[in-house]
Amino acid sequence: MSETLIKFDNITKRFSLRKGDIVAVKDFSLEIKKGEILTIVGASGCGKTTVLNMVAGFLTPSSGNILLDGQPITKIEPRCGMIFQNYALFPWLSVRKNVEFGPKINGVSKKVRREESAKYIEMVGLKGFEDAYPGELSGGMRQRTALCRVLANKPDILLCDEPFAALDAMTRQIMQQELLRIVNESGQTVLFITHSIDEALILSDKIVVMSVRPGTVKHIYDIELPHFGKVEVQLTDEYLKLKRQIWAMVEEEVKISMKIVSS
Amino acid sequence: MEGKELGLWGSSVIGAIGLLVFLSLWEILVRTNVIDPFFLPAPTQVIDKAIQMTTAKDAVLLTDIKISATRVLTGFLLSVLAGVPAGLILGMNPVIRAAINPIISIIRPLPALSWIPLSMLWLGIDEQQKYAIVFMGSFASILVYTTDATMRVDPTLRRAAMNLGASPLQILRYVILPGALPDLLTGLKVVLAIAWTCVISAEMVGANSGLGFRIWTAKEWSDTGQVLVGMISISVTVLVLDILFRGLERVLLPYQRKTSGT
Ligand SMILES: Nc1ncnc2c1ncn2[C@@H]1O[C@H](COP(=O)(O)OP(=O)(O)OP(=O)(O)O)[C@@H](O)[C@H]1O
Ligand SMILES: [Mg+2]
Repeated sequence: MSETLIKFDNITKRFSLRKGDIVAVKDFSLEIKKGEILTIVGASGCGKTTVLNMVAGFLTPSSGNILLDGQPITKIEPRCGMIFQNYALFPWLSVRKNVEFGPKINGVSKKVRREESAKYIEMVGLKGFEDAYPGELSGGMRQRTALCRVLANKPDILLCDEPFAALDAMTRQIMQQELLRIVNESGQTVLFITHSIDEALILSDKIVVMSVRPGTVKHIYDIELPHFGKVEVQLTDEYLKLKRQIWAMVEEEVKISMKIVSS
Repeated sequence: MEGKELGLWGSSVIGAIGLLVFLSLWEILVRTNVIDPFFLPAPTQVIDKAIQMTTAKDAVLLTDIKISATRVLTGFLLSVLAGVPAGLILGMNPVIRAAINPIISIIRPLPALSWIPLSMLWLGIDEQQKYAIVFMGSFASILVYTTDATMRVDPTLRRAAMNLGASPLQILRYVILPGALPDLLTGLKVVLAIAWTCVISAEMVGANSGLGFRIWTAKEWSDTGQVLVGMISISVTVLVLDILFRGLERVLLPYQRKTSGT
């Protein structure tokens, strides 16, 4: 297939807390190919967001390197557009201005900016809310605005931290298909985090199951299901078999993590 | 009714009634000589005095208000011009903050009054000395308010902006400034009130114009009416400035008006 875009080379991330260090991610190795959609699943607190933050350059690994096109990531990397778990919208900007933030910063003309933002806003079903402030939106609407803001900036890599978690099932399905369509057109690489195994199966070329903290790669599944088959795919034997396998593996990890917490 | 909010109208009407009752009681107590008008003139006498002070051909009262307000605003604007940029730098740079903090901690607790002797020695009693008093009285507070407001800006918003490709200068312009603005304006409102106390004190100690001076001379003449007119003028001017400031807030922070809801 195509060349490696992101390479995690034995990454460990330690956080120092007052009561001592905790190891969030340990010996994490993974390769992501250009144009690939790779999803990470795993128990809450296993280090998924931490992995994403390191790719974005918000955090630096305690040891090991993350290579982007062969170069170690050392600072915040605008090639990697992050959709934050908590949206991180600018509360003083309207939906439209939030979406146009990246293009504006990068010197895109006002006219082009306006057209682009209108296109994305319409795509996520927020037409009519262009002038609303984030504080006036529901959680799901904020999440869609955050997705728009990153898409409008056209990064090479999309880092998505549970970007659809606040959406209802129907909207979620529509957004998944839209994301697939955009990525298919643009050839963007996607690193996606989700708690929904269905979502992972629908979107991904690869699914990575992470172990409980310290998070490491437990298993990698290559998914060869058709992306655009919509609901019917979800009834095939192949789909259900994979779902059962991944479910069992994640469940095992979640049980371990609960035990660690309760003991 | 219990626990219910009074609407804007309800509370205004009740407030007006309260004020009216208070003024009537005061008027009656003076008219019936329970209170000696020499110590405390009746409201109607105060109003007469105010009219006399504004309609006489020199219209002292209006001139005084204008002079004091000019002093306050000039000194205040100077300290905003110096304090806000400095506060932004302090808020963003922990090294500079650590270096400057001890100096601020020494300057900030000093009441503006304590600067009067030094400023008079250095600058005499002309306008510059008034500006200097206001400046010294408000600069450290503005600096601290701005620093705090800057530090409270959500760090994930900075990250989000950097992730979208913003340079440090763009972060300052498009994230830190608008993010710090609400807290900053709240702080400035408090400091503006402090600036008034500075000017009034400075005018009482050494000046030949302004509301503080007027009140102080009236005291020398035992003119309680004029003292009261001066005091009320201060209240009214501060209130008017406060309303203007709120208007400014509404213009600058439209997203807060909408989200707070009614
Ligand atoms: N800045 C930080 N300082 C200290 N500890 C942190 C920090 N960020 C994350 N951690 C710890 O690292 C571990 C992994 O956190 P992370 O946010 O990556 O989990 P996650 O897999 O994204 O969980 P969730 O599914 O709940 O979002 C957690 O135990 C968390 O407490
Ligand atoms: Mg997370």
